This record gives sequence, structure tokens and C-alpha cells, in this order.
Amino acid sequence: MTGSVLDDVWRREAPHVLGALLRRYGDLGDCEEALQDAAEVAAARWPVDGVPDAPRAWLITVASRRLIDRARADSARVRRETLDAAQRPYATQDLTTHDRDDTLRLFFLCCHPALTRPSQVALCLRAVAGLSVEQIAAAYLVPVRTMTQRLSRARTALRQAGARFVLPSQRDLPDRVAAVIDVCHLVFTEGYTRTSGEELLDVLLVKEAIRLVRQLHAALPDHAEVAGALALMLLTHARSPARVDAAGDLVPLAEQDRSLWRRDLITEGVELLERNLPRGHVGRFQLQAAITAVHAEAATYKETDWLQISLLYDMLGRVAPSPAVTLNHAVAVAMAHDPAAGLAVLEPLLDDPAMQRHHRLYAVRGHLLDLNGDAEDAKKQYRIAARLTASMPEQRYLNRKLAR
Amino acid sequence: MKYVILIHSNPQPWGHPTSDYLGAHQALPAEVRDRLNAEFEQVMAELQANGELLGGEALGDPANARLYRWRDGEPLASDGPYSEAKEHLAGFFLIDVAGQARAEEVAARFSGPDETVELRPLMWPGGDDQ
Repeated sequence: MTGSVLDDVWRREAPHVLGALLRRYGDLGDCEEALQDAAEVAAARWPVDGVPDAPRAWLITVASRRLIDRARADSARVRRETLDAAQRPYATQDLTTHDRDDTLRLFFLCCHPALTRPSQVALCLRAVAGLSVEQIAAAYLVPVRTMTQRLSRARTALRQAGARFVLPSQRDLPDRVAAVIDVCHLVFTEGYTRTSGEELLDVLLVKEAIRLVRQLHAALPDHAEVAGALALMLLTHARSPARVDAAGDLVPLAEQDRSLWRRDLITEGVELLERNLPRGHVGRFQLQAAITAVHAEAATYKETDWLQISLLYDMLGRVAPSPAVTLNHAVAVAMAHDPAAGLAVLEPLLDDPAMQRHHRLYAVRGHLLDLNGDAEDAKKQYRIAARLTASMPEQRYLNRKLAR
Repeated sequence: MKYVILIHSNPQPWGHPTSDYLGAHQALPAEVRDRLNAEFEQVMAELQANGELLGGEALGDPANARLYRWRDGEPLASDGPYSEAKEHLAGFFLIDVAGQARAEEVAARFSGPDETVELRPLMWPGGDDQ
């Protein structure tokens, strides 16, 4: 038996085991610790004894025993509840029929509104995805100590907020699902926007995000925004092989070799969208996915259906307005109509104090001025953008434009 | 987003925490000094508890610096300090916070009399392909 078989079993079972423990004992911190103990026992025993026939039940039993041992050994707050919970026998259904709802409950617990977004992200990767603290810390390029603090802070905040392992009310459900989607999308973006460094780690986050959204999609198959978020990630990830050149430099969408794009992911993403688009209210993830799909289906940057994209950005601007949407809208309008029309779309952003320090405003403005034949003013804008950006590949790209 | 907070200072004699060796700081009324010290302790504890602090170091006396300059195709070593400036780099803190606003809030709380606190964003290896 190889380590990866063990790992697969572990990653598949961990969230369910955690779900079963949480349903009974409630406290995320205690249950995670017990699960960690069970993982250590499994890592020692399974390679020798083989994976048990029912690994989930095995892990639940071992972890429960740890929880009870600990409650007996210490007179802490959990003692009575833990021991009380342990008196009740496990129903067989505890081990099997709760899968779907457990996944959801776990997502909702980890994305509880009492937590900050970075805490929600860390907790989801730990508890739902089953990654180790070391893996999460490495992926976010922070010391293990820092990530450990974030996680324990998050568990304390959950405890203080009285967060429970339950499904939210119908009234809260839309906001809670939106938070979960947002967290998954943040994980994806963190991985996708990397271009160098530890390639394995970047792919890890992209894959984890897609895996998380797949789980969410399986639990909420009729939720159009969940499907939209999954489609968006697949369609965006399809560009990964083309977005960095051999030297490790960023290749913008306009210059990517489209023959490198992953057709399998594009097909899956487009199918998902087609199945879900026509159902009433269209949310921001579906719209973003639709935009990415239009790009994916264009043979070249020039041949892109820019009119369609500018209309979709216009809709997105109404559903989820943001400066980033306006910037992309301006580019689409410039391509669909003419650069001057695109520059006009940018106008309102010029008075926004937050945007005046944002490199993207100047990068886009420079690009549109360039298209308009105003090379001198374009350079001025590129120079400001290059100074403001904190992205090394974007800075190199802008500096190359200035050197021309 | 990651930032570095650079502390430029000139404690006499060189020592840490720098505020203990700065005349302007020592000249403050005791209760003001106590308040500033307590605020610093508090912001450090807060950064640690939030998982926002990535690390930090105090630097040695700039008189101990060795400088390497390129001369005739070779490094030429000399003794520091790097410049005759009024202040020297005395230490740094690395933080990872939600955004610029939070970074500015933290950096402001590191400041004190006769010191300059510099907040700089870290470059990151990623970028957008749009």
C-alpha cells in the first residue's frame, strides 16, 4: 500500500468523520484535534494492518475514544457534554446517510459570518479539504506558526459566537452560500494568479478550490451560482498552460497561444453553464463564467465577440458593481466600438480616491490610449502603473512596454 | 497582502527597544511613555493573535555593518555605517493583512518621537492575465 492510497482514503473520509464528530460533540477545535489524533493512529497502523473495510467507522471510533479520554483527563468546559454525548450509541445512519448535509454544514461552519475572510479560507482548507496546517501555510507563503494562530483564532471566534454544526435558516441561506462560494473563489484566485515560485503549491490551491466547489455543487446541484463558480474556475484554469512563458513571465490574454488551452476543461465549463444559465436570476459568477466562455470560444483575441462581452460586463456592473468590472467593461467597449468610447467608460473611476492609487486603472488607460494612437500619453500611464503595481510579473510586463 | 514595516531610528547608545535609548522618548512624561509602550505591546499581541505577524528582527549597531561596493570588477569591502544619515534601519516587521487600510492602521501604531516608520508593500510573484 502506498502513501498516496492512504492519503486518498484520508482526504475522502476526513470531512465526513469530522461531520459525524461535530454532529455529536459540537466543538470544532476539539473535534479537529481528535481527528488529528485518529489520523496519527491510522498513519501508524494502516500501512501495517491494511486499510480497514470501513475506514470511516474506524476513524470515528478512534477519534471518539480520544475525545472521551481527553474529557475524562481534564475538567475543562467540554467534559460533561462530551461524556454525555458519548453515552448515546451511534446510529448506523450517523455513518452513512448524512454525507451531503455534513459537507454543507461543515462549509457553513467554516464560513461563519463571525470569522474574517482569511480565517474562513484557512478553516475551509483545513476542515473541509483536509489539508495539513503545513500545506496551507506553504501555499499562502506564511510561517506555520502564523497559520496555526489564524486557525486557533478562528476556532475561538466560532466558540465565542456560539456557532453550531447546523444548516442555516432559509432566510440566511442565500448569504451563507454566497460566503462559501466567495471563499472557494478566493482560494482559486490565490493559486491561479501565481506565476512563479513553487509551481506545485499554486496548482495545489487551484485544484483544492475546484475540488471544494465540486463538493458544494454535488451538495447543492440546483444552485445556479455554485454551478457558475465551478464553470468560471474550469474555464479560467483552462488558460493555465498558456498564461506563463518559458522564462516565467506573464502572458496577457491577448497574446496567449490558444492552442495550449485545455479543451476538456472548456467543454465541461461550457456544458455546466448551458445547463444552468436559463434559470431566472443571473448572478455574478455565472456572468463572469459566461464572459470567460466567450473568450474560450474565440479563435483569436481580435475575433472575440466583444459586443457580447461588453453586454455581459454591463449586466455584471449592475449585479455586482466594482471598479474591476468597470475596467474590464471599458476594454470590452473599446474593442467592440472604439477606444474613445472605452476611455469614456473609465471617466468616473478617475475621481475615485482608492482607484487613484490602483495600478490597473493606469494600465488599462494606457492600453486604451495606445489603441487610440496616443503613444506619448499611453507611456505616461504605463509609467504610473508600473510604479504602483505590487505584482512582479505585471511590473516586468509594463517596464517592457515602456522600454519599447 | 504582505507589507514590511521598517523602523528608522538612531538610539544612543544603539539598543532595543529603540525607544529606551531615544532622548525625545525619554523626555516624555512617564505616563505618556507607559501608554506608548503599552500600545506597542498591544499591537504586537494583536498581530500575533490574529495570525497577521509573519516575523520581525532587530538589527545590530550600524557601526558593525560591512559594506561591499563594486570597484574595478571586484567587491571592495569597507566598514559601516552605510550613510551619515540621521537615522538608520534599526529593525523590521513583516505583516500579512487584509489590505492597505489595515496595514496603515498597524504602521501608525509603531511610530514614536524621533523615529521614522516606513510602510512598504511586498512585491508578489503573481499577476492577472486580463
